[in-house]
Amino acid sequence: MEGLVIRDLSKIYYDIYTGQHVAAVEEVSLEIGNGEFVAILGPSGCGKTTLLNMVAGFIPPTRGEILLNGRRIQGPGPDRGVVFQSFALFPWKTVLDNVVFGLKMRGVPKEERDRIAREYIALVGLEGFENRYPHELSGGMQQRVGVARVLANKPDLMLMDEPFASVDAQTRMTLQEELTRIWGARQPTILFVTHDVEEAVFLANRVVVLTPRPGRVRETVPVDLPRPRIWQHLIEAPGYKGLVARVLGLVRTAGA
Amino acid sequence: MRRRILLPLRSFFMQPAVQGLGPFVLLVIVWALVVELEVYPRAFFPGPLDVLRAFGSLVYKGILPTYLQDSVTRLAVGAGVGMLVGVPLGLLIGLHPASYRFFWPLIIFFQAIGDIAWLPILLIWFGFTLTTMTFVIVYTVIFPMIFNAALGVRTVPVEMIRAAQSLGASPWRILVEVLIPGALPNIITGLRNGLGYGWRALIAAEIIVGTSGIGFMMFDARRSGSVVEMILGMIVLGILWYVVDAGVLRPAERATIERWGLVRQVP
Repeated sequence: MEGLVIRDLSKIYYDIYTGQHVAAVEEVSLEIGNGEFVAILGPSGCGKTTLLNMVAGFIPPTRGEILLNGRRIQGPGPDRGVVFQSFALFPWKTVLDNVVFGLKMRGVPKEERDRIAREYIALVGLEGFENRYPHELSGGMQQRVGVARVLANKPDLMLMDEPFASVDAQTRMTLQEELTRIWGARQPTILFVTHDVEEAVFLANRVVVLTPRPGRVRETVPVDLPRPRIWQHLIEAPGYKGLVARVLGLVRTAGA
Repeated sequence: MRRRILLPLRSFFMQPAVQGLGPFVLLVIVWALVVELEVYPRAFFPGPLDVLRAFGSLVYKGILPTYLQDSVTRLAVGAGVGMLVGVPLGLLIGLHPASYRFFWPLIIFFQAIGDIAWLPILLIWFGFTLTTMTFVIVYTVIFPMIFNAALGVRTVPVEMIRAAQSLGASPWRILVEVLIPGALPNIITGLRNGLGYGWRALIAAEIIVGTSGIGFMMFDARRSGSVVEMILGMIVLGILWYVVDAGVLRPAERATIERWGLVRQVP
């Protein structure tokens, strides 16, 4: 099976303070085909980040399994790039050296990796900023570096953990539009975790709504809105408001 | 006409190097005034000019340069060895729980035995030698290095390590590319503290071991009752530390942790 397959995935934590077992994620099954853009949506604390961390290989599942293109996931690896809410750029590296990092770790020769990195820096609109350090950039620009750093490494799957939650509202809209443009151009497979209903509907082909803790799949909603997606156009598009209302209803009743 | 004289004068005083001297100029003026007023007998409390004369004479005789070189070499060797052992050990116990459990009690135990407390037994084992001095300095320098390096690697955000892992970095590359640069603000703090303590330990060791060095010069001056040389020694210590700070530590900070935005820049 190509793409990402999640089967009966559960994560149960042992809380050392209360002495109880707490289920964060329960019996989640999910399939994402190559080139798909799927958003995982749920209220805060529903275990969506736990789910992403298991797919990334940062934490082991308690039960169930995760397969990427048929291979079982057993730890972090360059086949799954992660874009973090906190950006997690390396402050001691310039924009170019951040984007080059994955290629360098995998032994790509210097000239080639610089060329590839510059290509992706241009793709995210940061030409001319190659030699800046992250702290010299705005939050939105830093996250552009975060996206370029992952894309340059050409992962099979791009995992995004509320990547635009810590930038201002206008920048967020721009970044969302840019992300759909980049997805349209390169077709990376994306698993995007968010608690923002409109963001999920705007970006994805499919929105997977999770229940509150423990997170289970409540419903999967296909999004067949036209692309390229631009906020001014989409807000007027037939079907957008109805879709947002429907997904919002699912999230809120799930949280009740 | 007045402006043409005042402006260059003003720009002269606005230079950082000159501004750094400002407080000391004031201090020397107050010092000279107290001496001129003859509040204390001159032999006990000599003035700036007396000290300057002693400086000239000791430089001329070659004593001061030799002693200075001895002291600085001892500090450099001690700090170098201390750093080469302390930083890796700190990284190890900061990253490896089993190493932490093994080394931590030992480190706490030996930290309590201060540098000077080692001197009696060191003098029996190694005598009045460079080995004794080096041991004392390494011993002093190493603890702040260990503690700060260990703290430093633990302050690196877990997401930064995870980012490196999912970009394909091996544990070794994560150490070199992420953990050590991330720990650098603390490592530099450790270096600063370590050198500061080491410098003091060196002077104490030179006073007791007593063969050469600035500490020896000051203590030796006691025999001839030469307060001038004691004050000169104190001034040399202060200036030397200022030079190490301005010439080594500050440039290192500016080129790394300030450039990377890990700490705010000093205005």
